[in-house]
Amino acid sequence: MKSNRWLFIVIALIAGTALGLAYGWVIDPVDFFDLTPDTLRADYKADYVLMIAEAYRAHRDPGAAARQLAIFGSQSPNSIASQSLDFARANGFDASDIALIQELVTALQAWSGLP
Amino acid sequence: MKRIPWSVLLALLAGLGLGLLYSWVISPVRVVDSAPIALRPDFKDQYRSAIAAAFQSTGNLERARARLGLLGDANPIEALNAQAQRMLASGDTQHADEVAALASALAQGDVFVAPASPTANPLSTAQPISTGNDAISTSTAEEVFTSTPEIFPTQAVILEATPRPTRTPLPTQGAPFKLTGQESICDSNLPDGLLQVLVLNANRRQLPGVEIRITWDGGEDQFFTGLKPELGNGYADFIMTPNINYAVQLAQGSDTAIGLIAPACESPSGDSFTGGFKLTFQQP
Repeated sequence: MKSNRWLFIVIALIAGTALGLAYGWVIDPVDFFDLTPDTLRADYKADYVLMIAEAYRAHRDPGAAARQLAIFGSQSPNSIASQSLDFARANGFDASDIALIQELVTALQAWSGLP
Repeated sequence: MKRIPWSVLLALLAGLGLGLLYSWVISPVRVVDSAPIALRPDFKDQYRSAIAAAFQSTGNLERARARLGLLGDANPIEALNAQAQRMLASGDTQHADEVAALASALAQGDVFVAPASPTANPLSTAQPISTGNDAISTSTAEEVFTSTPEIFPTQAVILEATPRPTRTPLPTQGAPFKLTGQESICDSNLPDGLLQVLVLNANRRQLPGVEIRITWDGGEDQFFTGLKPELGNGYADFIMTPNINYAVQLAQGSDTAIGLIAPACESPSGDSFTGGFKLTFQQP
């Protein structure tokens, strides 16, 4: 009789934990907001880099482009743009968009002096 | 009557508490693959600036509109106007112009003539690369708290929807502004010689960030709308010196208001003071 009682307590404890986890992870997870750009999904990052590449074509200022890419954190602008170029190629971006990003990558490589 | 199993209830509650402690504090859902809507406000500003700069270069309004949709602003035009004013106030006039130009283009609903494009359905070229419609329709929580890397299901859309900005013609710049109102103002409550300028688009919406050039014999100056948002996004003013003949024109092209000499006015009590002018420019 007594062991049955402990069994119920343990089952209740496990059920409560499961409920708590379900509530905290699924039903009402912690609200995150005010995120930084490095948390953006890869396709959003690539689109942002494409925006910078589109603007670069007009103003031809690699320094300004590098500053705008710096919002992604500690990586160099060149590597950020290169990663987006890889993503664009791997995911079938339009050839003209790939060309724009390629142009930006080349300009940033020349600007930073890094290959 | 059966007894309430308090021990079991307490164990259930304790378990619930442990579960919440673990899921909210010890190991909350990891933030990966977030969407632009969840960005911090200053990063959203940078995102808008990038959209505006890209629009300035490509003239692709639909792509800019779709990208702006990713930020989840209730009114993207107002968000752009407010940002343009903040940028102007901080002296960043070049980027403010780009942001204001995008706001104007959206407000005017500029229609771009479709080029001879191989794309049969123009709507398909209007999608953002990052499948913006998904991002808009999906709740923030779902976008932000993706705990499994489910980025790739949306990529089929990415492949189809990449527009070609280089094939889009340059935007229509809009007709030159007309001087639709010019009245002298004698109001002793206003500063002496106050020249007020109001700039409106064709829909009578006030336009921020518009450069106004004022010239007089031996001098010229410029000022911008939108620096006093409490008086209206399209409002700007300038203090005229008495007995000087001014001419005013918008930098991007407009009629010229000429012969502006601050009028001599008299208050009801007989005191004399210098009045001003109110000019209204509007796109036809």
